[in-house]
Amino acid sequence: MPSVLAVAQSDPARPVPILSGSLGNFSFVTGGHNLLDSQVNPVLLVPLGDRWLIESRAEFEGQFQRPANGGPYGGPVNKHVDYAQIDYIANPYLTVTVGRFLTPFGIFNERLYPVWIRALEPDPLILPINTAPSDGAMFRGGFRANRAANMNYAFYLSTTSIGSGSVDSERHVGGRLGFFFPGPRLEVGGSWQRTLQDDRRNAFGFHMGWQPAKIPLNLRSEFARSFEGSGYWMEGSYRLSQSHLWQKQMRRTEVVARAQQFYVGSIGANQEASFGLPDVNMREADFGVNYFFRDGLKGIASYGRQFSAQGNFNQWSFGLAYRFLIPLGRVGSPREAQ
Amino acid sequence: MLIILLFSASLLSLRSAGAAESNRDASAVPVVHPNDADSMRIQGEQRFRANCGRCHAAPHKFPPRMMATVVRHMRVRATITAEDQRLILFYMTQ
Repeated sequence: MPSVLAVAQSDPARPVPILSGSLGNFSFVTGGHNLLDSQVNPVLLVPLGDRWLIESRAEFEGQFQRPANGGPYGGPVNKHVDYAQIDYIANPYLTVTVGRFLTPFGIFNERLYPVWIRALEPDPLILPINTAPSDGAMFRGGFRANRAANMNYAFYLSTTSIGSGSVDSERHVGGRLGFFFPGPRLEVGGSWQRTLQDDRRNAFGFHMGWQPAKIPLNLRSEFARSFEGSGYWMEGSYRLSQSHLWQKQMRRTEVVARAQQFYVGSIGANQEASFGLPDVNMREADFGVNYFFRDGLKGIASYGRQFSAQGNFNQWSFGLAYRFLIPLGRVGSPREAQ
Repeated sequence: MLIILLFSASLLSLRSAGAAESNRDASAVPVVHPNDADSMRIQGEQRFRANCGRCHAAPHKFPPRMMATVVRHMRVRATITAEDQRLILFYMTQ
């Protein structure tokens, strides 16, 4: 095994800067009201030397609706930088990150958010809880804890965090600790965050993911509890690759189901909207189908039903998501790495 | 705050050991025996399916220099281990 790793580490492929990201065009119909959502999320990756990486993601999202009195679709185009960070891979146990980074609270915000990755396009209800970008420093890493488990962690200190209204700021510290068991492909972990001002509130969350090796099933779940609210989501996605009927089409098809619940927090119903959260207790069930036309391009369709004291609504979504990857320099042929 | 500083200091103290390990491995003569390459491919595929499959479907393979950037990005983003990073990169560039 040592010789195997030695060969891998001496791989001659030098990384090249990349412009990656995703495009999405969706139609969300909630309670009979149609919302057209078009978004571009470019990701810039610039590796420097053997240990450095500069990475940034911006979001340009237009949400267009037809006015109540009729007329053409119109609406705002939101632009913001999700993260702009410098990473230094200090050693196999530690990576130091400074700049603006995605807050590692739960797993959806950091890993499942891009439209080409997420299994259902509507956001989980609890996504806004403690997931505004953080500005500061972060220490993170993943390493083998023993023969059966890998451990991963992230601790961060943020001096300024831009809230959903773009005017809020705060100081907070937090962390996430997780264990991944490669054998059963099971991941469990927890997150914590504490504000360093006002009432010095704590928030915490738990997450899990499981991908059984024998069937193309992906189960994920998150729970979060904070001053702003609490709730959970549970999601299962199943790739129909084991179907014997229309095998070529079925292996490109994925069915998804998600159940979730949200409870209004201590801030009261009037303040919830400013955090992007529902202002009433809410339950929601979603079902969807994804079809992968080719690598990086998928079509989505989903139906959901929202239940709350404000009424029950149907939610439909349709659209296309695309992931692109463009080298910003000369790239070699696959044989150069051999 | 104090806990974070102490934690980061203790991890940074591991840097010399980690750097020495990396330098030693990087200067090793890259002798690839067919069995080693096969073993790496198999392990790389296993690590790829276990780690990358947690979030997204398997992408196509890209040229090695692009894959090197993508895998470094995922090392940070998905906190995969250094060993997984190397084996996945080897598998994805074959």
